[in-house]
Amino acid sequence: MGLFILRRLGVMFLTALCLTFIVFWLTNLAPNLEKLAKTQGNARMSDDAVVSWLANRGYAQPLPVKYAQWLGVAPGYVIEGSDGQVRGRCIDPGQPVGEAPSFCGILQGDWGFSTVAKENVSEVLPQRLANTGKLMFWVMMVMVPGALIIGVLAGMREGSRTDRSLSTVSIVSTATPEYVSGVVFIALFATNTFGMQWFKGSASSAVQDATFENFFLPVMTIALYGMGYIARMTRASMAEVMTAQYIRTARLKGVSFPKIVLKHALRNALIAPFTVIMLQIPWLLNGVVIVETLFTYQGFGWELVRAASNNDIEMLLGVSVISVFVVLLTQLISDIGYVFLNPRIRIS
Amino acid sequence: MEPLTWTGSLGIVLNPFLGIVTVLFLVSLVAQTVGGLFAPAVTLQANPDGTLQTRGGVLGILELAMKYLLVAIVGGVAAYIVIPLFIPYGSAGIVGEISKRFLPVWIALVLTYSLSIKYKRRLGLYGKLFDSTVGMIGFGLVMFWVFTAFFVGVFDMIATHDYLSQVSGLKNKVPGVPVPEGTAGLTPHYLLGGDNLARDVFSRVVSGSVFVIAIAPLATIFAFMVGITLGLPAGYYSGRLDTTLSFIANLILAFPVILLFYLLVTPEIVLTGIPSYMAAFLFVFPLIFFGVLLNSRYYTQPAKRTAIMVPVLGILGWLYLSIINQPGTVIDFLPAWFDLFDISILVVFVSVVFVNAPTVFRIVRGLTLDLRTRDYVAAAQTRGEGAWYIMLWEILPNARGPLIVDFCLRIGYTTILLGTLGFFGLGLSSESPDWGSTINEGRKLLLVFAHPALPPAIALMSLVLGLNLLADGLREESLKD
Amino acid sequence: MTSSRNSIHPAALMYAEEAKSGQLSRREFMARTTALGVTSAAAYGLLGMTAPAHAAGHAQQGGTLRMQMEVRALKDPRTYDWTQIAYITAGWLEYLVEYNSDGSFAPMLLDSWEVNEDATQYTLNVRQGVKWNDGTDFTAEDVARNIEMWCDKTVEGNSMAGRFAVLVDATTEKAVDGGIEIVDPYTVRLNLPASDISLIAGMSDYPAAITPAGFNPETMLDNPVGTGPYLPESLEVGVRAVIVRNEDHEWWGYAAGKGGFLDRIEYIDYGQDPSAWVAAAAADEVDMTYETVGEFVDIFSGIGWEGSEVASAATIAIRPNQLAEVDGTTPYADKRVRQAIAMAVDPAVCLELGYSNLGEVARNQHVGPMHPAWADVPGLPYDPAKALELLTEAGMADFEMEITSIDDDWRKNTTDAVAAQLRDAGFNVKRTIIPGSTFWNDWTKYPFSSTNWNHRPLDTQILGLAYRSGEAWNESGFANAEFDALLAEANSMADAEARREVMGKLQTIMSDEGVTLQPYWRSLYRHAKPGFVGWDMHIAYLPQIYKIGLAA
Repeated sequence: MGLFILRRLGVMFLTALCLTFIVFWLTNLAPNLEKLAKTQGNARMSDDAVVSWLANRGYAQPLPVKYAQWLGVAPGYVIEGSDGQVRGRCIDPGQPVGEAPSFCGILQGDWGFSTVAKENVSEVLPQRLANTGKLMFWVMMVMVPGALIIGVLAGMREGSRTDRSLSTVSIVSTATPEYVSGVVFIALFATNTFGMQWFKGSASSAVQDATFENFFLPVMTIALYGMGYIARMTRASMAEVMTAQYIRTARLKGVSFPKIVLKHALRNALIAPFTVIMLQIPWLLNGVVIVETLFTYQGFGWELVRAASNNDIEMLLGVSVISVFVVLLTQLISDIGYVFLNPRIRIS
Repeated sequence: MEPLTWTGSLGIVLNPFLGIVTVLFLVSLVAQTVGGLFAPAVTLQANPDGTLQTRGGVLGILELAMKYLLVAIVGGVAAYIVIPLFIPYGSAGIVGEISKRFLPVWIALVLTYSLSIKYKRRLGLYGKLFDSTVGMIGFGLVMFWVFTAFFVGVFDMIATHDYLSQVSGLKNKVPGVPVPEGTAGLTPHYLLGGDNLARDVFSRVVSGSVFVIAIAPLATIFAFMVGITLGLPAGYYSGRLDTTLSFIANLILAFPVILLFYLLVTPEIVLTGIPSYMAAFLFVFPLIFFGVLLNSRYYTQPAKRTAIMVPVLGILGWLYLSIINQPGTVIDFLPAWFDLFDISILVVFVSVVFVNAPTVFRIVRGLTLDLRTRDYVAAAQTRGEGAWYIMLWEILPNARGPLIVDFCLRIGYTTILLGTLGFFGLGLSSESPDWGSTINEGRKLLLVFAHPALPPAIALMSLVLGLNLLADGLREESLKD
Repeated sequence: MTSSRNSIHPAALMYAEEAKSGQLSRREFMARTTALGVTSAAAYGLLGMTAPAHAAGHAQQGGTLRMQMEVRALKDPRTYDWTQIAYITAGWLEYLVEYNSDGSFAPMLLDSWEVNEDATQYTLNVRQGVKWNDGTDFTAEDVARNIEMWCDKTVEGNSMAGRFAVLVDATTEKAVDGGIEIVDPYTVRLNLPASDISLIAGMSDYPAAITPAGFNPETMLDNPVGTGPYLPESLEVGVRAVIVRNEDHEWWGYAAGKGGFLDRIEYIDYGQDPSAWVAAAAADEVDMTYETVGEFVDIFSGIGWEGSEVASAATIAIRPNQLAEVDGTTPYADKRVRQAIAMAVDPAVCLELGYSNLGEVARNQHVGPMHPAWADVPGLPYDPAKALELLTEAGMADFEMEITSIDDDWRKNTTDAVAAQLRDAGFNVKRTIIPGSTFWNDWTKYPFSSTNWNHRPLDTQILGLAYRSGEAWNESGFANAEFDALLAEANSMADAEARREVMGKLQTIMSDEGVTLQPYWRSLYRHAKPGFVGWDMHIAYLPQIYKIGLAA
């Protein structure tokens, strides 16, 4: 087991390394750097100024060198610019050149500097993650119990009318992407068009103070899309368990139906949904990006869109590192959890 | 011209009727769903006269009532669709006029269904679909949009106005607004109102279907070709090949999809030519796939093989070159007369294929890992068949069930992805009527004018829902085998 | 320089005559005379009028304002490219001069200024008694240092260098030797190699914020030394920025009766989607918008907010680039093609669909009735049939025009409206949208694209910036010797009436050559919750936040 986890962690780091290099390469392509210079310098800057702006800030170095600096395996650049100012990767604003450390990459715990937010990535990202964490917490609180209840109810009597209608509900919910349901929700519940202006169409105040009014629509939008899938998995798993031999034995013994469901079937039926829920988390990330953009909620997804559209290189790298670890960690947890929950499986 | 109301004179009778029936239906549905939880399981009991007892009691009555209510609802909806076809313009309101516009689609759907149901026993898995209500509904929704796209795209029917022309004075006007005298168009009204640039919302939605119906399945097919061509050997040989390919697939899957789109579908990246190279790489897989497929089958008969492979690969090769060759990009070497078509949204197409292929790869690899231990594979190996023959002609056909189901789901997912791209304003022209872009356009004024954003949203949802239901129906029916 | 502080520049007297006889608009008169160093009260006096009462007199001291505004990262003021940045820093970094919506220039950190007759020597008298918030005095040193910094062309993105181009040495790319002279601790003299009357206007623009000695843009938030009444409390890019009253600092403006009423100003970022602003306004999360656009003008009025409108010369130019090569040809070098484009587009429709009729129709000349020397010259008639004929005659009927625009509301909509009208006329058109972050990479080079242009007070300014041969911002690739000669002539004519004739010729060239589509002039809007004063929309978006207060 220990070796298994170790190997998985190894793969995780290798993946993160490859992935960040790809992101690094794509964001450091010449047209992207030009975009960066124009957004940071001046939108209507001349071509010569772009070249010297980039050179003064170390962007003109070869790609592997820059990547190594970001990793922290090569010393950060120190460049005396054409305007006479000395800039260095590791030199904080206002710090004398001599006092700066020579290495400052991710290995030294320095996540770099966000060119858009004008702050260290390590200061911005945790805030955004905390905001998204708050959103995800409520999404989970709505989605998981909802999906499990629907799935169990539908699966305990396969083919019944209850099953049919609940299954239809879950299919409809998986077929409605967030940008559709979000738009429909806002039109229905945040405008006066249909006379049901109950909630707010903007969640930016929820960053400070989340209330039912400003948080309900974003939470529901993400939860609905994910709910259908988990419910269907739960239903399938429940239906399978209900046809198992030991359930049949229990029923023949005369155990009451509610008791069979609650005492015998449920535990085994929930193994599959557990792994599905874990694997669903990376998928929710997608929904988070859409919903946070739609409802202007300053979380991780919002930061991703902002960083990507402004070519904020080090922020994007931070975002990718975090999402890789989220994806791979949830996979790992779901695998391990599966083993713990299901005594029949042993990993050699 | 007077503005149109939603249902016109038809609604005076039909609206209250349908309203009451629907409410009753919903009430009984809830009652039954809740009641069903506590009721004892249905067991079959024989009556003394030999018939089987149906469910009695309150639930039984409810079930019966629901059946009739459902029939009434379907009848009511059908009335909205059918009656307007026989009454003059405008008297059936917006709903009636929209139904009239869709007349070719209705005819095509009725024909498809009557023919399919009549010959369903001879049609294999497709025929079996018509045994499942869910599958039929799903198929109906999908075919509705397929036919719409077909009639709009090929015959230029259905749409009432040019989807790009802007009519002064109709900016953000509500559904049913009359257009000024002398405006080109087939109806004197904007059936679903005007959008922010005074274009006809209805025409934009139906024109958008062409885009979605053309791109999504095609991109999915390409993704399947790539996934299958790489997944079969990975699963069959295992070992280092599998490890490498799986690592790459997982790498792509570990990317947040939207970040990938933001990195790939920007004008800067198009400038560098990366999408063109990716297209050149990804789109070569269908060539390989068909080449290997035919070669492994006919390599014992060289004459026949050549006779089949040369034309097939020739045409595919030409298509391939036409697709990847784009004037103004890095790959631009074909003379214009040789270049069949230009895909203006190549970059969108490539990215969607790129995102989908790894998942297909994983599915195919998993299925192959399972199927390669079967007896018929061992038999083929003993016969001395080549590895590719076994993969493509023994394993692949036996994996078709799950693959077809996944194919339907994946078209839906691709549609959602395309919409996501439009939603973030990536890659597509702002005037493009595709549903994602239209939703994105509409949402900006959503708090004030909901009508431009809702129709494309509902259209997209119904198509994806149809694909999901279809996949569900297919899965159910294929499991019965 | 002999003129004393009380004498009035001779040209100002001439302007006053013109203004009284109606030859010069009042706005232009105010702009011209105050730029020459006449105080705004004196300028009104020259016209026989009294200066309008200061509206802010009814404001109460104290209170908080929450403004919806995009919160952008701070940077070196010289390189500001968004007025929103200046709205934050205006709390502590002030300006020498301010430009007002009525066209006048008022002294701020300067007390007054004089310009000699041929505008080659400026004498700037620094306001006395102004203190930096670290306690040191504000002197001529500071003014000279800032002007020197503005003239430093080696700083990438320094747009002040363009405004002070006359003082920049072409070889060293810094201020010319002896150009900036400190006469005494409260007097600075600028000795220009050539005449230029636009320097005062340049000092009033938003990148001209006055920074302290040893200023470092990277630490400007941690060490906010400035002369203004506020200090930054927090700034989170894209989220919010807060400035609060600096209690330990005696701002010069309190004594001068300038205002500085509010205790706290919060700028809250709701993204670029105006519907989110409405949502925020309806939820009482903000008190004021930064700018209200398009359909939202009516919507904000609908929720009971007060509106402020100012008609400006801000506009959009949708221009073909005459030098641009498409598939080896230069399609827009042919005058007939450009004329065809102009004749196929109805400016009124562009205004309706692109900007919700919130402005005035223009004539593709980029000079308008708000400019002093505007001549009433007709544009090309709207005639789509003739347009197609011209296009066919030029052999370009099958040519696919690719029209590029930025991805934002009104600019995109206007460009879409142009594309649709061209299509209706039978042209072959393709639209391309480029995200805002990328658009400016090549904005002067697109074959056919739209660009927004801001308000500029004088009629010749924009023609010189955007249409003179070889200018850096000449996005239409227009090069016409006759035009250049006429423009030079117009630039030497201080008298608006005399200039009008030349302007008429220039405008005719603009129309006839079909240089650009410039369908309308925009009005600018701002909305606020009732109960605030001094918050009117500024014609050039300048950050005059010290004027805002809660109504008494």
